[in-house]
Amino acid sequence: MAETTTSGEATNGRSSTLPEEFLEQWRDVAYNCFSSGHKFCREVCPVTQVTRDERFTPTAFHANVIAMEKGHLSIEDVAEDYVNCTMCGACELRCPNTLFTGDFYRFRQRTIDVVKAMRAFAVEQGIHQKNWQRWAELTDRWGNEPVLGWTRETSGSKVRAWAAGLDIPTGGETVLFADCEAAFKRPSVPRSVALLLRACGVEFGLMDQQWCCGGPMWETGYVDIAHKMAEHNMIDWRKTHTKRIICPDPHDYITIIEHYPPLDENFDEFEIVLAVDLIAEAIREGRLELGTPVQRTVTYHDPCRLNKRLGVWQSPREILRAIPGLTFIDVDHVTQWSYCSGAGSNLWVEKPELTAEISRRRIAKAQELPGVDGLVSACPWSERPLTEQGEAVGMDVFDIFEITAEAAGFEV
Amino acid sequence: MATAIADSVVDELVAICGEEHVFTGRSALFNRARVPAPFPAHRWDAHIPQAVVLPVSAQQVSEVVKLANARGIPVVPRAGGTGLTDGAVPLRGGILVDVKLMNQIKEIDLDNRTVTVGPGINMLKLSEELRRYGFIYPDNPASYPCSLVGGRIGTSGWSLIGGRFGHARDLVISFEIVLPTGEIIRVGDGGGPKVRKSSSGFQLKHLFMGHQGTLGIVTEATLELVKHPEAEFSMFYAFDNYMDAWRTCGELARSSVATLAGVVLFDEWKVAYLRRDDEAYIPQDDSAKAVVAAAAYGFEDELRAGAKRLLRIGQASGGKYMGDEISQGDWWSRHDRYATPQHGRTRDGQVALMSWHCEDAAIPYPELPKVREKWHAIAAGLRERFEMFDDWGMFAYTNGAFKPWGDYLTEIDIGIWESKWDEESWEAWVDAKRELARVSIEHGGSITACHGSCREGEVDLVPLEMGGGFEVMKKLKRVLDPNNIMNPGKYLLDQAYEEE
Amino acid sequence: MLVFRLSAQRPPKPERVTDVVVTRLEHVLEVDPDLMRKHVAQQDIPNWDMHRIVSARWEHIRDIHEQWADSIVLAGEGSELGAGPPEPMGET
Repeated sequence: MAETTTSGEATNGRSSTLPEEFLEQWRDVAYNCFSSGHKFCREVCPVTQVTRDERFTPTAFHANVIAMEKGHLSIEDVAEDYVNCTMCGACELRCPNTLFTGDFYRFRQRTIDVVKAMRAFAVEQGIHQKNWQRWAELTDRWGNEPVLGWTRETSGSKVRAWAAGLDIPTGGETVLFADCEAAFKRPSVPRSVALLLRACGVEFGLMDQQWCCGGPMWETGYVDIAHKMAEHNMIDWRKTHTKRIICPDPHDYITIIEHYPPLDENFDEFEIVLAVDLIAEAIREGRLELGTPVQRTVTYHDPCRLNKRLGVWQSPREILRAIPGLTFIDVDHVTQWSYCSGAGSNLWVEKPELTAEISRRRIAKAQELPGVDGLVSACPWSERPLTEQGEAVGMDVFDIFEITAEAAGFEV
Repeated sequence: MATAIADSVVDELVAICGEEHVFTGRSALFNRARVPAPFPAHRWDAHIPQAVVLPVSAQQVSEVVKLANARGIPVVPRAGGTGLTDGAVPLRGGILVDVKLMNQIKEIDLDNRTVTVGPGINMLKLSEELRRYGFIYPDNPASYPCSLVGGRIGTSGWSLIGGRFGHARDLVISFEIVLPTGEIIRVGDGGGPKVRKSSSGFQLKHLFMGHQGTLGIVTEATLELVKHPEAEFSMFYAFDNYMDAWRTCGELARSSVATLAGVVLFDEWKVAYLRRDDEAYIPQDDSAKAVVAAAAYGFEDELRAGAKRLLRIGQASGGKYMGDEISQGDWWSRHDRYATPQHGRTRDGQVALMSWHCEDAAIPYPELPKVREKWHAIAAGLRERFEMFDDWGMFAYTNGAFKPWGDYLTEIDIGIWESKWDEESWEAWVDAKRELARVSIEHGGSITACHGSCREGEVDLVPLEMGGGFEVMKKLKRVLDPNNIMNPGKYLLDQAYEEE
Repeated sequence: MLVFRLSAQRPPKPERVTDVVVTRLEHVLEVDPDLMRKHVAQQDIPNWDMHRIVSARWEHIRDIHEQWADSIVLAGEGSELGAGPPEPMGET
């Protein structure tokens, strides 16, 4: 049988509503899902757990590509559906095509990439989500995301304000990348990280003008702005011959390792490392002492970018178990494949009620654990909605670096 | 392609379910048309509904059904849409009633050992909740992580460990159903929703088990709570020929070991297929041609005693024990692993993305070897004509509830390169389905152990299989659904409305 | 520790295991890439992602076993079948 494109013209005369370049990239991945029909992704998807709506399932996100190829659907029909995703990665990890044979065939499910591609295609076609568009425009204008609202500027010149009084130099061989949300909205996080790194003997500086890593721009379809952010950041690193970038926020880490290399043929100059791994290692090797008891009963929230997307779940638990006085009630990281805060890919900017419900359920799960009144996360983006939902029911939400800094005797 | 639904109907649906739960947009319709393969994607628009509702109560479902009756509009119930016989695929447009929002756990009754749930709940998610009480809901098909309780009733599903814990029809004690004319009734074994065995009146629960949504819409179900097993045992034996494996499979199934939950026979084509993916399967030497696996659950002491008996049978069989690693890994990975699209191979051995079609007859034990020969011949015939079909081998699983001996869920898995569908290959496929079904009937079996037999090709032989029972089916359908609105066109039941 | 260095993400050259299977990373078998020439192309999966998938698989299987039973009874290779205390699963 001849190799043909499957544009459906044999049956209904409709032609594809997706350009051939898009299909060349995503057709196989879409058929890999469509052909399987297993749908093991659904009950781990935080959006599906809440909405129960098949339009927003990982399976629909792939089936739409086939439907659009056959001319049944157009981007106008589906653009808004693709908003409903936190890009947590549960679906593409749990999918048997990844979990059981992704390594054997060097071909795994890529729901996140499909959603990114479709969101970018929508933007290219002039279909914008109102708040995401505004968010992108302000990020472009200010250099960092408008995490303090539409009118409070978050420029590159203000992004180091959290470090006041810490005398951190500019640039150098190792740089701490402090993430917009953390730097502006939850400054106790980068402050805690800075103090902890210092206590472990790690020398580091801050970028001259840190801009948004570009992640949410790639995620919401504003690819040109993302490129601009990335290029600026790499120029900044090179200004002081930076070799190592420490990321406290897994969103930045995964954005940099996935999206920056294709933009820069010398990217191998850089080494990217997670702060949570560094701190865990320092504790393990005795370079960081946690001498101040923290008398709390807490559980840990595996952030999606860290657990599902990167497979990092041991370091944070190691850290928590090293904190004196802490009663740590764990929920294993595989069970947490179906957990999420709902904040990812800026879902909360477009669909705040959906993020709120996903977070509410996450807090409720923590409340079910005996004696737990504190939830520790390791991602500032998750901590925004989790904190809000936690407040409503008396569940305190901490960032792991905040609570570790406390245990190290720091007041942040 | 179904025409757009009248605005007045949409308004009435909105009045019943609320605006946020009524959909007529194209993506809502196109994404509720199909179930797993094969789906005629080249005729996708022939299978979309005209409107979708996501009700949250039996009352809402009832009112939607009454509206459909009044206006003569078809209704198609849809739970997970993970069924394998097109039960949830609309044939005539209509109002698709999607029950996924009805996924609450309404009551856990530890004294009566029951849990009452909405039809939209998934078994794995249910078991996650039950775990803290020390219970599990052990209805375990391949779709355990994604199928929903409503669909388990709609298909009268099979469980891999039904030999120990029973199948869906045994684990579902009673349920509430909205009849095609809108009445809400409760069916079970007799009256009280938590009674397991009764002789009062007709046994109505069994009428609705496996109805494929043609006799109503389930809105609540009361299920068994089963104690979370203390221990699990599984063993795998490899044989250099099929007949020895088949004999051993039968002996194990007839062993009468009380903790035995299921036995699985992998034929030579299946073992060869699994070798395509050695990495997950744990490489075996060439002499392994057919495999038998058995699994048991229970308290550790009774399990060890039972395992010893099973292992004695294995040792005496001439097969080779395949080791502990496969028991630790494979037993719970099979359903994830065996239907991967990239396992498809063209004639020249190239990887092609293929859908998994699973044909699932119920075949009496003595007939397994012959059925295997005939089925593989049919698959070979397809492959010869069209490269887009690929034989992925056969499984036979113990099919009896609580007693593993008897008939077997006999499955041939056929890979289908779906992007290549056209009318000619589709017709050849439908013919093959019919022939596979015919073999099952000729050997004293049933077209389907658990999927249902609504699909093109196989459905043509349902009257043959049912005999006089098909007339009873038609009479019941006509009585319960006088206007033929409930999932019309399924099971040839349009014939119920033809004038004599 | 997940230290990312781009050059460390490229897999080594494949070594043949059978006529259809090769290996690049330790303990990880892969399909002969020659079989994915015509109809579906392989993806560019960095080493860290391959390791993530392999680890996740065993973690998932362990989790599923635990969902169904508190412990696994194994027959025991090469030893008295059925004898001995139950072994914990998957200590890799």
